[in-house]
Formats: sequence, structure tokens, C-alpha cells
Amino acid sequence: MNKFLSLLIKPILLIALVLLSAAAFAVEHSAQLPDTLPENLNWQTNNKDPIFADPNALRGGRFRSFITSFPLTLRLVGPDSNGSFAGYMRANNLSLVGIHPNTLNPIPELASHWAFGSDGRSIYYRLDPDARWSDGRPVTADDYLFAMEFMRSKYILAPWYNNYYQEIIADLVKYDEHTIGILGAVAKPQDEMLFEYSISPVPAHAHKLDENWVRESNWKIAPNTGPYQISEIRKGKYIEFARKKDWWGNNKQYFKYRYNPDFVRIKLIRDLNIAYQYFRKGELDTFPLIQPRLWHKKAQGRIYDHGYVGKIKFYNDVPQPISGLFLNEDSPPLNDRRVRYALAHSLNIERVINTVLHGDYERLQTAHDGYGDYSNPNIHARPFNIDLANKLLDEAGWDTRNAEGIRTKDGQTLEIRITYYSAAHNDRLVILAQEAQKTGFKLDLQLLDPSAAFKQILENKHQAAWMAWSGGGLSPRYWEFYHSENAHKPQTNNITNTDNPEMDSKIEAYRKATSKTERVALAHELEQLVYEQGSFIPTFKVPYTREAFWRWIKLPAEYGTRTSDSLFSVMGEGLFWIDETDKQLTLEAREHNELLAPINLEDSRWRTP
Amino acid sequence: MISLLSNPVSQKRWRRFRQSRRGFASACILLLLTLLSIGAELLASNRALIVYYQGHLHFPTYGSVISGREFGLDYDYETNYRDLQTSFAAAPEDNNWLIMPLIPFSPLESDLIAGDFPPHAPSVSSKHYLGTDTSGRDVLARLIYGFRTALLFSVCLLIFNYIVGVAIGCLMGYWGGRFDLFFQRVIEIWSNIPFLYVIMIVASVITPGFWTLLLIMAFFGWTGMTWYMRTAAYKEASRDYVMAARALGASGSRIMFRHILPNSVSTLVTFVPFSVASGITSLTALDYLGFGLPSPTPSWGELLKQGTENMESIWMVGAVVTAMTVILMLVAFIGEAIRDAYDPKQFSYYE
Repeated sequence: MNKFLSLLIKPILLIALVLLSAAAFAVEHSAQLPDTLPENLNWQTNNKDPIFADPNALRGGRFRSFITSFPLTLRLVGPDSNGSFAGYMRANNLSLVGIHPNTLNPIPELASHWAFGSDGRSIYYRLDPDARWSDGRPVTADDYLFAMEFMRSKYILAPWYNNYYQEIIADLVKYDEHTIGILGAVAKPQDEMLFEYSISPVPAHAHKLDENWVRESNWKIAPNTGPYQISEIRKGKYIEFARKKDWWGNNKQYFKYRYNPDFVRIKLIRDLNIAYQYFRKGELDTFPLIQPRLWHKKAQGRIYDHGYVGKIKFYNDVPQPISGLFLNEDSPPLNDRRVRYALAHSLNIERVINTVLHGDYERLQTAHDGYGDYSNPNIHARPFNIDLANKLLDEAGWDTRNAEGIRTKDGQTLEIRITYYSAAHNDRLVILAQEAQKTGFKLDLQLLDPSAAFKQILENKHQAAWMAWSGGGLSPRYWEFYHSENAHKPQTNNITNTDNPEMDSKIEAYRKATSKTERVALAHELEQLVYEQGSFIPTFKVPYTREAFWRWIKLPAEYGTRTSDSLFSVMGEGLFWIDETDKQLTLEAREHNELLAPINLEDSRWRTP
Repeated sequence: MISLLSNPVSQKRWRRFRQSRRGFASACILLLLTLLSIGAELLASNRALIVYYQGHLHFPTYGSVISGREFGLDYDYETNYRDLQTSFAAAPEDNNWLIMPLIPFSPLESDLIAGDFPPHAPSVSSKHYLGTDTSGRDVLARLIYGFRTALLFSVCLLIFNYIVGVAIGCLMGYWGGRFDLFFQRVIEIWSNIPFLYVIMIVASVITPGFWTLLLIMAFFGWTGMTWYMRTAAYKEASRDYVMAARALGASGSRIMFRHILPNSVSTLVTFVPFSVASGITSLTALDYLGFGLPSPTPSWGELLKQGTENMESIWMVGAVVTAMTVILMLVAFIGEAIRDAYDPKQFSYYE
């Protein structure tokens, strides 16, 4: 939807690809879950954390939002199922446990209780007996057994899921109608296990698994467990969701007062500028304004000044996407650490932030920011420093300059090709390239179509890749990005081709460690090594969300939560509501050009220093 | 060629062309603009035209980068002449001076004004006469360089297209028969290949440069000319003078180059202005769609795209639309005048 999101969607695919190869590494030993439920299990739940929804929320109304490309399928897995619309479908496909957005503790979703086995690899879930599919049938352990069969089936044409459910989740056992056990392939810290094995059920009664499955389920509306279900599809125009009348979660502690609109209409508007015009006319209820251009230049005028539309800037605290310049160490001259350092000192990121980004973005300091204790706060990205860069380059032998002022060595010019895939980043790169000339670097900007760019990068044919990987999970991942096992070969996340024995041993220790303190200590050391390796140059982070909303959209007193990516994610956190009387008043005021109190909100409760 | 221009018919045509005042004026203006754009570095550049420093003259416009140390500054990279000018002005006792071009910005250079975010509005004091784009690059400088690129591109494209198109068209008309039939079918198929898709596919795999783009466009563009040349050659080949030449034993190539081609040149010439215009528009369109020349090449299409995305900064879209309209109008006027000049109706009276 916004630029940032679209930037992130594709890399998710890449990460998926690589987990696949991670899977091969993961199978260590083949223990089994016990045939009967072990005694002395310590069943846990969480009903002590405060609720994060607002009890004043009103139910009702139709929320109108947009997507820029129409989904190619309604399936949750299989070909073409990873588009931007998939978020809505997945949100209604609940997992076993969720994460409390403020305390980050686990909270019940489909499972009411959970317990850990003594081997460090097994976990047991007790399903909530109230949980129902949208067709009224109860969610039982059989739906999980079928989920395993389904996800392992070759008919769904989803190799990533096939592997995940084969290699990461080793086994699933039904103990009774509402109790299941899941065995992981390797021992893991408990909180990671809790969320990584928190899978979704698949209704056996709604799927016929055969070679026609992919085709037949393209536009079939499968039963789900979440608050909304699709009620109407007009292909190429819109998709409408209706809230379930008596959703089973309505009175559950952490679901109460959420998901308030009765209907959600997702309209197809292919162009962001046109979508903004819809919003301005009041035909969309909210609009993301993360992009500086939108926030500073577009979001101006009568509707804001007269208070019909409000603006909010809300700082959050979530893992930041790993965005920056990834240098391919296999591609000379970037095999020379001094050249990599010099390049980092030649990129005037601050200037980009203070000019074209309107001072809105912040410098990303490390590869893993926003992971709480795991992030190493003592590391700072290399600043723009011409003298240091010059010194490093002189040392590395690039001590002559050609007629254009570009450094040369043995007849070679110091040219770095930067592959990128978003034309919206042109202005940033243009400034960087211009500034880098001062130290004698020539940056060739190669803009490719996203799929061509990813192909080039995954095949290690890039020299430097300007991209972002979606952050996420509870702790940083190093094996995929930096282990030599993934270096010098195509289709891995190690696009820098980092191959460092010291890092390898630390990464292996990190993967094996199960206590959090040990893992945190190793993560800090690894982050330092990543910094010293110098093959990743961190660029920007956006530690907030910015949105515009019509006056009738009401937010809770605290606006959002610590992990709110968007305040108006109707099926995600779903905390806002629509005030129909206010809507009438606002529309009348707009008609008569009356002045209402302008709404300009900023919240920095969750801002990290 | 000389004989072609000095023969009475050509002279008559030239006179007639000059008589069409609108067309002639347009041709002069376009020629002037072209000449100016060829010397764009003297008009818009961040390098000074002349620097007088410690008794020596420097001409930095063309040639290699002059490091800041040359002028007593404390850096190795290229001198910032605008700053140098200010520092010279601040110390008049040193008798150093320099002259900057009218527009003291290069088309690739982001000039970021403190306290304001690009795009900056037009202003005489900042010397951004048409404002800047979203990266802070001068719009006027980019217009000038973009015009040069577009014009050069479309002239090269025209030459490519005409060489191939005229050669094949002439042969089809002159030889006729199976060759003609075969190429007619080839061209029919060829012209139905969706050229935009090919560009998109190529652009997704490699970043097309000036020459790659030119070749791709010429690859699909030559067919248009063949039909006209085929007809013209067909018509001329059946004329008596061609038969006479043949009877005198003239070779095929002689007939082609000495007789048929000069006589069908009118068809060719009337098309030239419109081909140039279509070359400019198609390059602009490709750049607009993002399949054209790689960033940061100055281009009208890219400017147009930025402009339409930032309608509130009207100077970007305004400048490029005006420039585009003016150029296309000039070309249309010239085309009209050429057509009139070559119109046989004005001198063929049959009684």
C-alpha cells in the first residue's frame, strides 16, 4: 500500500526461500512425541496482561480502504498467494497463540493454554473449545492433523510450506479433541518455539486435496476463524468483508472491543495519487502518509485546516527492516575491506535524510534494530567522512584519479554498480552518487524491475544491492545472512557472500544456545562482527507510522500499541471504530464549510532513543 | 548531393519554403535551439566558463576535473565554482574572478537549499529560473540537456530507420515480384510485434542505454518507411526515363541511386520533421513509463513523470509540457512548410 510496505513484500518471498535451505540444516535427530500426553506438564496461559483495546469502541459502520493490485487468488498458499491482499486473508486465519502488542508476552488465540516438553523441542497446546470456523463447526485437533497433511501435500504447490511443515515442524500428535503436541526439529528457546510452532488449522471439511486443488480453490471462500469473512467480490473492483454476527472471539479477553466495523470494503485503486484523491473526497476513510512527499506536500489544505481530516504521527518500537546497501564481497574491488569501509564513509546518508527525505527518516545504525535486548546499542553506522574515506582508499592502492576525478588503480576505475528496484529511490541515490564522487567513487545506478533485480541479486551477479529485507521475528537471524554455508552460492540470503570463520562459529553457537542471556551476548558479538565485516551499510529506518484519517474514525485513548505498524489495520489490531453520528456532522460541516477543531496528533510513548 | 540542391526544381522548392514565413521562422528557431543545446555546457553547467586565478586563465567547461587544490581550496574533489565565485567576490583585493554560465547548475547536480525541501520553486535569486525537481536538480538545465538527448536520439533513430527502410522499400519497389511479396508479408508480421512489450522485457533484464534503446526502436521502426518508398520506387521504375536509362544499359544500382532515389526524395523529406517529432515523443513516453534511458540521464519523460506525481509543484510539469508543445509545434510548422514546398500541385498545370 505505501512505498515502505511494497518494499517489504517481495523480500518476504526471499526469506521464505532461504528458510527452505535453512531447513536442510535443521534436521538433527529424529525423536518422537510421546504417545500419551506427558504428566506434570506445566500448563500456562496469560490473562494477567492489560487489554489494549478501548472499551468505549462502538461496533458498526463500513470501513473503506484500498489496494493497488487485485489479488490473483483467495488461497492462503500456493501460486500467487503472497500478494498485498494476502494480509487480509491471513489476519482472519488465527494462530494458536498471539503476541501481546505492548508487553510482547504470549496471549491466547485459538489455544487457551500451552505447555513445554522437557526435551526443549516439544510443545503442547490446549485448544479453546469455543473456537469455531465461519461455518459454525468447532475447531478441533483434527483440523491440525489435516493442516499437517495439507501443508505437506504436493498438491498445494507451495514448496516453502511443504518444507516448513516437514523440516521445521517435525511432528504433530493429537491427544484428544482439544489437545495437540508439536515437535520441532531442533531445540529452541521457549518463546521462539511458542511462536514459530504456532500454526493455523486447516478445515478438513472444506478442502479436497487432489491435483485440481490449486485451480478449484482460486476463488473459493474457505472457512476461517477470524472476525471477518468475505461477503462480496467484484473482480477488478472491490472485495467486501462482513464481520461475523456471533464470532466466537467476541467476548474473549484480548479480542473484546476490537474489529469494530461491520463491513470492510477494499477497493482496487491502481495508483497511489489517485487513491489519495479518493481519500480527499472522503471515499476512503484513512490514508497512509509515511512518504515525506505525501506528509509534507500533499496532506495540506482545507480538509486538514478545517478539521475534517486528522493527521497522526505515532512512534512504534518494532524490528526495523534491514535496509541498506549490501556489498558483494565476491565482486572486486569490494573484496577489499578498506574499499568497503571507504564506501561507507563516502555515502552521505545524512544529507539524503535532511533533504529529499525532509528530515523524516532516521539513520539505521545496525543491521538489527528494534529487537529489544538483542540489538546492540553500542554500534553506530560509519558516518560520511571524506578524509577517512580518502585515507582508506589511498591505503588500498586507489591513489590516482582520472580526468573525471574518479580514482583508479592499475588502469581500473573505482566504479561500483548499485542495483535497485524502486524508481522512487532515484532521488536518494542520485544524491549519494554525487556526494561519493568527492572521494573518487563512481556509482553506477542500475534500476531494474523488482523480479529482475531479485534474480540478479540472488544469483550473486550484483555488485552492491540497494534493498530492504523485512525485519521480524523475535531475534536477529544471522545464519541466513552471514554464515559461510550460504556464501558463494545462488538463492541464499547471504547476498554479501560473507565468509568469515569467526562469524561461522559464533553463528552456530547462537543457533544452538537456548538461554536468552547467552543468545543476547552472542547477538551483540555477532553484530560487532557484522560491523567489522563492513559488507552491509545501514541506511534508513522509519520508527513510526504516519496516517491521515477522517474525523469520524476514532482511535483509542492511547492511539495504538508498541508494535502498531499501522493504526488503521482493520483486521490486524483493529482498535479503531467508526462514529456514525460524527460522520454526519463532519459531512455537514464540510458542506457548509464550517470550521472544526483541527486534529494533529503525535505520540512518542514508544519512541526509542 | 550538390547537384541535387542546385538544380532549378530544388531551388524553387527552397524559395517556396522560405515564402512560408511561419515554417521558415520555425526552422530558424529550431535550428537555433539545436545549436544552443549542442553547446549546452556553455549555457548550463556547474563549471565556470572562465576562471582567472593568480594571473592564470582556466577554462574548466570541457576537459578534465580541476581539483579544489588548484584554486587554493582544501579538498581534492572537483571545485565548487559557485562557492569559488563567492569567495573571490569576498576578497576583491586578490583580483581573481570567474564567469559562470547563465544557469550555474549541471543537470545532474542536486542543489539543496537549506530550510526548504525539494522541489524548490522557481526563483531568480537562487538562479533556478524554472525551479528544481524532487532531487533539487535544476529544471531548466535538465530541459536543455534533455532536449539535446532527445533530439540526438531521434535524429539517430531517423537515420537508422531511413537507411533500412529506404533500402528495403526501394528494392521492393524496383525488383518487385517474389522479393516484394516476401517482404510485404515480413513487414506485416513485423509491424504487429508489440514494440512496447519488447522494450519492457528488455528493460527488465538490462538497463537500456542510449544505443541499446536506439537499436531496439530502430529494430521495430524501420517498417513504416518501406511502404512509402516501395510505392515511390514502383511508380518511378515504370516511368519512361527509367526505361530509357535501362535501354542505355545503366546498371541497377545506377538507376536506383541516380534516378529513382533523387526523384522520390520528396516523399522522404516531407516525412523527416514528423519522424523527428515522433522520435522525441516516443523517447519521452518511454522515459515517462520508466523504460527509457537510465537514471540520472536528464530527460523530459522523467521530468514529466515527476511533474505529474507532484502536481502541486506546477513548475515541473508546466516547464516540460510547454517545452514539448513548443518543439512539436515548431516541427509541425516546418513539416507543413516542407509539404507545401514539395506540393506538385502548385506548378503542374495541365491544359
